[in-house]
Amino acid sequence: MNFSNKAKEHIDSCRFCWMCHHVCPIGNATGLERNTARARALGLSLVARDAVEYSDDIINNVYECSLCGGCMTDCVTGWDPVMFTKEARLGAALDGKLPPYIMTMVNNLMEKGNIYGVENENKIPDFPETDTLFFIGEDTRAKGCAKEAAEVLKKANVDFTILKDEPNSGYSMDFLIGAAAETKAVMENCAKVLNNYKKVICYDPQDAKVMMREYKEWGIELKCEVVTFTKFVSDLIKDGRLNVKKTDLVFTPQDSPILARDLEETEPVRDILSAIGTVKEMLLNRQYTMLAGNLIMNEYMPNVITKVAENRWINAKNADAKILVTTSFAEYTKLNETKPEGIELMKLEEAILKCL
Amino acid sequence: MTDFLFDVIATELEDAVGRENCSTRTIDKLTHSVDYFWLSRMWADRGLRMPEGDFIVAPKDAKEVSAVLKIANYYKIPVTTWGAGGGTQGGAIPVCGGIVLDTKRMNKIYDVNEQGMYIECGTGAIYKHIEWAANEKGYATMHYPSSLTCSTVGGFLAHRGIGVSSTKYGKIDDMVLQMEVVLPNGDIIETSPAPKHAAGPDLNQIFIGSEGTLGVMTKAQMRIYEQPESRQFRGFLFHNMTDAFNAGRELLQKFKPSVMRLYDEAETASLIKKIVGVEKKGAFMNIAIEGVKEMADLEMKILLETFAKYGAEDLGSEYGEKWWKEKITFFYPGHMMDIPQCFGTMDTIAPYDKIEKIYWEMKKAIETNFPQAKFIAHFSHWYEWGCMIYDRFIVDGKDVPKDPHEAFRLHQAIWNCGVRTALQNGGVVNDHHGVGIKLGRLMKEQYGPAMQVFEGIKKQLDPNGIMNPFKLGL
Repeated sequence: MNFSNKAKEHIDSCRFCWMCHHVCPIGNATGLERNTARARALGLSLVARDAVEYSDDIINNVYECSLCGGCMTDCVTGWDPVMFTKEARLGAALDGKLPPYIMTMVNNLMEKGNIYGVENENKIPDFPETDTLFFIGEDTRAKGCAKEAAEVLKKANVDFTILKDEPNSGYSMDFLIGAAAETKAVMENCAKVLNNYKKVICYDPQDAKVMMREYKEWGIELKCEVVTFTKFVSDLIKDGRLNVKKTDLVFTPQDSPILARDLEETEPVRDILSAIGTVKEMLLNRQYTMLAGNLIMNEYMPNVITKVAENRWINAKNADAKILVTTSFAEYTKLNETKPEGIELMKLEEAILKCL
Repeated sequence: MTDFLFDVIATELEDAVGRENCSTRTIDKLTHSVDYFWLSRMWADRGLRMPEGDFIVAPKDAKEVSAVLKIANYYKIPVTTWGAGGGTQGGAIPVCGGIVLDTKRMNKIYDVNEQGMYIECGTGAIYKHIEWAANEKGYATMHYPSSLTCSTVGGFLAHRGIGVSSTKYGKIDDMVLQMEVVLPNGDIIETSPAPKHAAGPDLNQIFIGSEGTLGVMTKAQMRIYEQPESRQFRGFLFHNMTDAFNAGRELLQKFKPSVMRLYDEAETASLIKKIVGVEKKGAFMNIAIEGVKEMADLEMKILLETFAKYGAEDLGSEYGEKWWKEKITFFYPGHMMDIPQCFGTMDTIAPYDKIEKIYWEMKKAIETNFPQAKFIAHFSHWYEWGCMIYDRFIVDGKDVPKDPHEAFRLHQAIWNCGVRTALQNGGVVNDHHGVGIKLGRLMKEQYGPAMQVFEGIKKQLDPNGIMNPFKLGL
């Protein structure tokens, strides 16, 4: 396993530093020492020194990270465990050492277009061709639906289309094997389709993340404008195109780590919720948010991801939240599975529809 | 141990804590073999494997801990308790192999008791998490060490930790009300329901600081405090350390600030300049005063009057506020000493009549005997009767032997020299980092025949000597 000099530098800085221990949603859920950025760095530093083999055991640990970036955000010096973890995943792929549960997802994606191996059942109704694409994303297409979100757009008279055979954005491939040629190929394929449109509204923050950040980094040209669903709707309300009612409902936003950290987008959801009610914050908000769900990891460590969601509910309960509002399908799914009595859970679009 | 017996023990441990909570995986052994101790870090940096546990177990409560300890006693296997691994003294390193008992699954926060002003929690809780729990109800733990985010409640208790606001709120041993402890034989006990009493010696204080050698603390009630109405900072620059000590001593006869930190001239010119931005020469001191605003205002007036008598330059509130904001920044990689440097913190404590002499004698001893070492210090925990030195030696990477065994020798020699100098001049082997494997050999030099008290307790509670062997000099 060969690491880049940059990765080595970050690994060596993190291997003896515990300062971000408290912010790891996985470590907090498992209570396991290995689920810390420093443990992962220590293991990889020993691999880099040939003191231990890059074995299944170490590789499995590399996949016990949600890449949520909590550690990176917390680090005042700017060390980046996400970067070296992704590089370690790429290394495992290049060495032909991917764990079977990862290999299955990669194969599913190559064959069916999604990591879950779900057939495209073409449940999407016909939409007229327009220059605005509403990009639903892999998780929602395989595991849920975006009917309410589409409804919100319709209420604002937005002309948009949804593709029956939407391409994969490349987010999950990037998560699974990092910067591999296969990942780039998936992204390039997606970019080709997106470039037929002027504007792409991304329902799922994870797709927005790769389109707005990774494509650029990889030199993949995107001619269209990409905007998150949250930002788009927030602008619709501000521009008076979507008329909402201010109610006496009290909302607590669950910031998606991808929106809040990778895309630095924390205010649109608050602007929307303030327009339809009152915002009550819970501990760990905005860029310091705590992950509440990840459906890729849910495929191979479901109990841990369930505990991750349960932990986030504790913060919501301690804040005396009334309605927890999500902007990410993955987080909604896991929070919904673990919802305690006495607090409501809503997708952002559900909250909006309630206040039209 | 034969493979057969290994499997016998492994399956018994799995039965005690659940299969998923008993690991023999390489990654788990590795990550529980290196803590914040310089020698373990150097060893790993040189590509060497530290002593590793054979079984990494993570019990969820006292009952499971009890079951593990009974198994360990039966097979006479060492048990090393691991919190979060942030200790600097090698206290959590399983030097004899055996079982590593990771406490972090015991992280439940049972109660934020606003009437009793305490949080009851498992000792595996990261302290920052109980701080969050306190904050959510409008309170604070007031325990703010640099390792707040990466140490467990049990870890702080095990080595008598301390935070930056200690002058007003005390050390960790002042912050605990009651504890649940599992004795080495597996019995589960509770200490007295209140920490101040006349019901014999203080059981809390027998286990606090025992570093896992006498049992496993599994639950604790930790004090919480109201958030101060006012927190005010003031930075000062003293001409010399003597004036600063005298000023600090006099101030403490009048009231207790929360933060008191004096940096020697070397540390003022390095760390304080870099992080806080103080450019002037001298000894920088930061004071924080907090509580009810009216009282804090009065205390600030007394502070300014007292320090003026000793010629301290008033630097205003800006540097102090910056220091508070950055108080943990000092310890991140890039700001903190790191490999390949060889370094250590020889924190010691003494009354005011000895502390300054200890500082100068240690500085002289280190710099004379090890000219390659730089000596810097600050004084960060103050009492009415004395204060502690957080003195550090730093050897540049180029001066650290390439051979790991020689680097090991250099490290040990500097420590022996520094701590023995402290002891000879009336200091204590350690103030708040603990003893671990690093300073165990010096405990007997500190205590002499008094060591038999610790040894007697150890022998009675842990006759098989399974609990964290070779730590604390036991």
